[in-house]
This record gives sequence, C-alpha cells and structure tokens, in this order.
Amino acid sequence: MAYLLLIFFPVTMAASTFVLRRQTELVIFAALGTVLAQLLIATQIPVDDPTRFLGVTLTLSPLNRVFMLLFLTIGGFAMVGAWHLPHGENFIPIALLILSQVCAVLLLQDPFITTLLLAATGLTAVLAIVDLPAGASNLVGTQAIAAALKYLVLMSVAAVLMYIAFVLTDIYRPGELPGRISPARFILALLAVGFALRLALIPFHTWLTHLVDYAEPLVAALIITLLNTSSLLVLILVFQSYPTLLLESEGAHGVMRLGAVVSALTGGLLAVGPATLRRTLAYLILYDCGMVFYGLASVSSIGLAGAIFGALNQTLAVTLLFVSLGLLERPDGRPPGVTRRDLLRRWPVAGAGFLAGGLGLIGLPPLNGAMSQILIYQAAAQRGWIELLPLVLATLLAGLGLARVAAERLLGPSEVEGEEEPPLLGEIDLDRPAPRRLAPEPRSTAVLTLVLLLLCLGIGLYPQPLLATIDEAIRGLAFLRAL
Amino acid sequence: MINWLLLGIGATAAVILLFRDWRLTFPALLLNNVSLALFLAQQRFVAPDVRVPGLEISTLVLVKLVCGIAVTLILTITALTFSREYGLENLDEFGLAELRRAARAAQRQRTSTPFQLSDYVVPFWSGVLALLASLALPRIYPIAPSEAIDFAWYWLALTGLLTIATASDLLKIGLGLLLCASAIDLLYTAVVSTPEASGLNVVPLALLSTFNILLALAIAYLSGLLYGRLKTLELGALYGR
Repeated sequence: MAYLLLIFFPVTMAASTFVLRRQTELVIFAALGTVLAQLLIATQIPVDDPTRFLGVTLTLSPLNRVFMLLFLTIGGFAMVGAWHLPHGENFIPIALLILSQVCAVLLLQDPFITTLLLAATGLTAVLAIVDLPAGASNLVGTQAIAAALKYLVLMSVAAVLMYIAFVLTDIYRPGELPGRISPARFILALLAVGFALRLALIPFHTWLTHLVDYAEPLVAALIITLLNTSSLLVLILVFQSYPTLLLESEGAHGVMRLGAVVSALTGGLLAVGPATLRRTLAYLILYDCGMVFYGLASVSSIGLAGAIFGALNQTLAVTLLFVSLGLLERPDGRPPGVTRRDLLRRWPVAGAGFLAGGLGLIGLPPLNGAMSQILIYQAAAQRGWIELLPLVLATLLAGLGLARVAAERLLGPSEVEGEEEPPLLGEIDLDRPAPRRLAPEPRSTAVLTLVLLLLCLGIGLYPQPLLATIDEAIRGLAFLRAL
Repeated sequence: MINWLLLGIGATAAVILLFRDWRLTFPALLLNNVSLALFLAQQRFVAPDVRVPGLEISTLVLVKLVCGIAVTLILTITALTFSREYGLENLDEFGLAELRRAARAAQRQRTSTPFQLSDYVVPFWSGVLALLASLALPRIYPIAPSEAIDFAWYWLALTGLLTIATASDLLKIGLGLLLCASAIDLLYTAVVSTPEASGLNVVPLALLSTFNILLALAIAYLSGLLYGRLKTLELGALYGR
C-alpha cells in the first residue's frame, strides 16, 4: 500500500494543484505538504522487502531510499524557490508528476517499465520547459520551444535504444552461440548511447546546454537533478541485473571510460572559453557528468562509490547553482540591458551560493564534491597516470572556467552610484531625484540558498555517514564481485 | 507467398518517410497501425480471447488498434485546428505585433517555396538504404522468431529514425518518433512472448500504449505552441531565429 501511495499520491495532488494553479501560495503549500507526506512514507517503507503488484516487483533498496529522500527534499526546495523565483503557471503540478514518476522508477525493478517511465518523465519535463507564468503578456520563446523539442526527441530516441537493449538482454544467454560474436557488446553499446543521451555526456549533450540557456532555472534544476540522477541509478540496476554484459565485454569498459574522460575534459575546456553565465554553468555540469560517469565506468568499488556520492553531490550543487542563478537574474532595480559585473556585491547570498555550487561541482574542499572527486581520482589512478591526468586537467580547466565567470560577473567593483554630488547653483533638495533604494534578496529564497550552501558544506566536512551507506549498498552489488 | 500485412507496414512507413503533406502521412500512419495490429493477430503472439462471429483476435490486438486510432486522431485534430488562436487575450501590443510579423513571414515562405522534386531526393535515397539494411539485417543479426518480424521492426525503426533526421516540420518529427515506438512495441511483443523469454507482462504493454498516446499529445502541444508563435510548423523557421 505504501508503495502505491508513494507513486499515486503525488499524481492526485498534481491534478488538484493543476485545478488551483492560479492560487500560487495555496498550491505551493499543498505541494509542500505532499512532499512532507511523501518523505514520511519513504522513511516508513521497510528496505529490501519486495512486494508484487500486477505481476511487477516493487522494492526499495537502501541506496534508492537515500536518493528518494534526496529527490523529495530537492522537490521541496524547488517548491520553496517557486515562491519568489520565476516559474511557469503549471510548475507545481508538473514537479509533483515528475516526483511521482521518479519514485516509481526507484521502486520498480523491471527494466522495461523503468525505461518507459524514464521516457514518460521526459515527456512531462517538456511541458515544464515551455510553460509560461500565469497571465504572462509575452509569447513562449521560440528557443524554449526548440529546447523542448530537442529534449523530447533525444529522450525518446534514448528510450527506444534502451528498450531494444532490454529486449535483447531478455533472450540473451551467455555462451549459447560460441561461434558467433557475443551480443553483449551490442547490448552494451545500445545502453551506453541511450544512457549517454540521458546523462548528457559529450557529444550527446546538446539538449542540456539548450535547456540551461532557455528554460527557467527551477525547471532546469529539476530536470538535471531528478531525471539525470535517476537515470544513473537505473544504469547501476541494469549492471546489477545483467552482470554478464560487463563480464563478456572487457574491452568495452575502456571505451566507456574514454568517453567519460573526453566528456569531462571537453566540458572543462568549453567552460574556459568566453560564454554567458548560464552557458558556463551548463559546461560545468557537463564536466561533472563526465566525472561521475567515469566513476561508474571504472567498474571498481572505489569508482562506483565516487560516482554515487558524486551524483548525490551533483544533485545538491546543481540545485544550489540554479536557485542562485534565479536570484542573480532577478531585475535588480538598476537600469536593465547592462551586463553587471558586481553580482556578488548586489546579491551577496546568491553570489556566494553560485560560487559555492560551482566549487562544489569541481570538488574543492571543504565543499561536498571534494570526497567524491577524490574517490574518482583514486579509481583513475588504479588504471594509471594516463587516465588520471586528463581528469585532473579537466578539473583544472573547469576551475579556470569558474574563475573566469566569477571575475567577469561576480567579483567586480560595485556599480551602485557612489557618493552624492554637491548641489548645483540654485538646486535644492526637492529638485534632486529620490535616492534609489535597491531591494534586498527575497528572504525565503535567500534562506533556501543558505540552507543548500550549509548542506553542501556539512556533507563536505562530514561525509562519513553518507559514505558508509553508499559503501554498504555497494557491497551488495554482485556485478562488482563478479568482475 | 506475399504477406500483404507486412507489405502494408512497409509501404505506409515509406509514405511517411517520403511525403511532407499531413493529408498523406496521417492516413498512412493510421494504415500502418492497422496493418501492425493485424500482423500481430496473424502471428498469434497471444492466444485469441475475443470471439465474435467470423473473427478470433486477442485483446492485445484490439488495444493496439484503439491506440493507433487514438494517436492518429490526436495528430489529425491538431493539424485541423492550426487556424485557431489561443491565449491572445493576455498578450500586449508587442506580442500581437510579433504575431502579425510572424504570420506575414510564414505567408511569404509559403508562396516562395513551390513544390520541388529535389526536396524528396534525400528521403528517397535514405529510404532505399533503410530498405537494403532491413532486408540484410534479419539474416546478419536475427533477433525475432521469424524473418518477417525482424524485417518489420528493423524497417519501422530505421524509417522512423530517418524520418526524424530528414524532417522539415514538427509533425514529421512526431511521425518518426511514433514509427520508432511502433518498432519497439512489435519487437517487445514478438520477442518477449517466445518460450525462452520472460513472457509478456501487462504493465509494460499498457505503458507502451500510454507512451504512444502521450508522445502524440506532446507533439500536438508543441505543434500548437509553434504554430501559435510562428504561424508555421517548419523547423527552419524555428531554428533559423
């Protein structure tokens, strides 16, 4: 019953909030209540206690429970952020639907169903990308439609590739046809491309850059954190369900690791070049996606721990980055159309959040990404310098990219008008324009940014509890022992 | 002996790949779905459980038929209602002026691009390549229980991908995606129902049909938005800006 509640309760609430969508405050409160109820249900479900429903097995592993709680928390943060940050009229119902689908993905073990659910999350996300605020007087941007179309096509193609791969795994028997080439490599290739599209690995990444450029920050945050990370968990489940795929395709691991290194390196390289704030953010995320995938493709316990911990950190850091970005892009009371360079002074909490999120992605101590990056470096070092060096170089490049964007947009001198000029001859105080008072950051969003920042810092300083949970989950993965 | 249903699947997918006009491609999609459902009935992947005088079919075939009709109806209604305007009451003067400009640009484009045979060269030759591949792959890499099924799903998947790659408007992209979805639907039903596989499950089958309908709805929604914004469904206008 609790399993079904986790899946269907947000769906019913999504329908209710859709009906009431113009009552923004009421809808946000209702959605927050839903998320809290979901969190409570998720903590009550016994771990590794499978149950059958309509011939389908539902179970919650310890690792998936950690991520489910994280996703629900991130969903709650996004709803708090929606109080002041720009979002579409249907953002809350769509976010609840996505949360329901992601919960279903984490609970279900059938690869056919999870693939179709992941595809369905893609279709739901499309609605959020082209969503306009209630009563908006402008038209939907053509670039937003283009981004939505690109996302729809690529996610559907990824689903098709993954589905074909799962059908093949269903009839594949290892060593059955000794004279023929093993289909394991073909299946792994289909899965690699399918998941590379979902995880935005270079060169399958174009949807992510387009999405970050043209979607609202909260929408981009939900898609990148919830959908990408859940795809990564599905990939781990696939390796766990079909370990022979990895056993029979030794050389393919190298190709996957190479792809991950190229993705991280190219992401870092692109971040260094001149680009807007949003585009640089997209490149930093691409770099981190490459790093996380490297940990997974290394197929070692250290690398996998780094990948899982990295995915968790990425979820938090990306949320922090997008909430900060939403604040940084608010009209700040100064003349519009000017590229400001003093964003840290103008929006201190958001500026600090942006810098901390970026540093967290890169893995600078004491932020949360540090430990996961170290684990991934260790996994690379086990393979030799030839794999470690490009990863370190990618991190340096990504760091340079963050430093560039910080110097260009955040750390400049204050552009608020300085001291008052002396009055001209015959001028009195009443002739002068009233002194401009610039509004501070909205309190709820500033608090949210600080909470996320503290979470990143807290995990960075004290990662042991999470690492212990991840280590325990990894010990249960049969494919690592088999390799 | 000629399998007319297989021929129907092949010909209708080719029409979708080759032609641009929705008045041709949508009936082709409907016929494709009907042929596919009848092909599934012919191959008897699932034992018939619905008996009406003179006909024995399974519920699965009926579901596929209904899903195919629903998908075609969604897209056809979308194409027929393109002339309607939505949400204009909230627009300011700038938005309305932009719409008038877009309508003029779309009108100019329609009058300046007459029928050209060269527009069909790439889809035609890509179709030829897909046909060769679909004939060769069932022998090189057989997956399904029979060569006919392998040809059908390879052909649907390849024409679907090539339709997406050569599409010039949004509806054509939707048609390509739906062909790909039909391909995996056929593959799943044919392969997983074999004795050596895990067996068909009702939930993935239901989700596949739901996914088809949701995909058609998403394409219809995006088409409505694009037409409302640019007064055209041409991808050139969307990506050219």
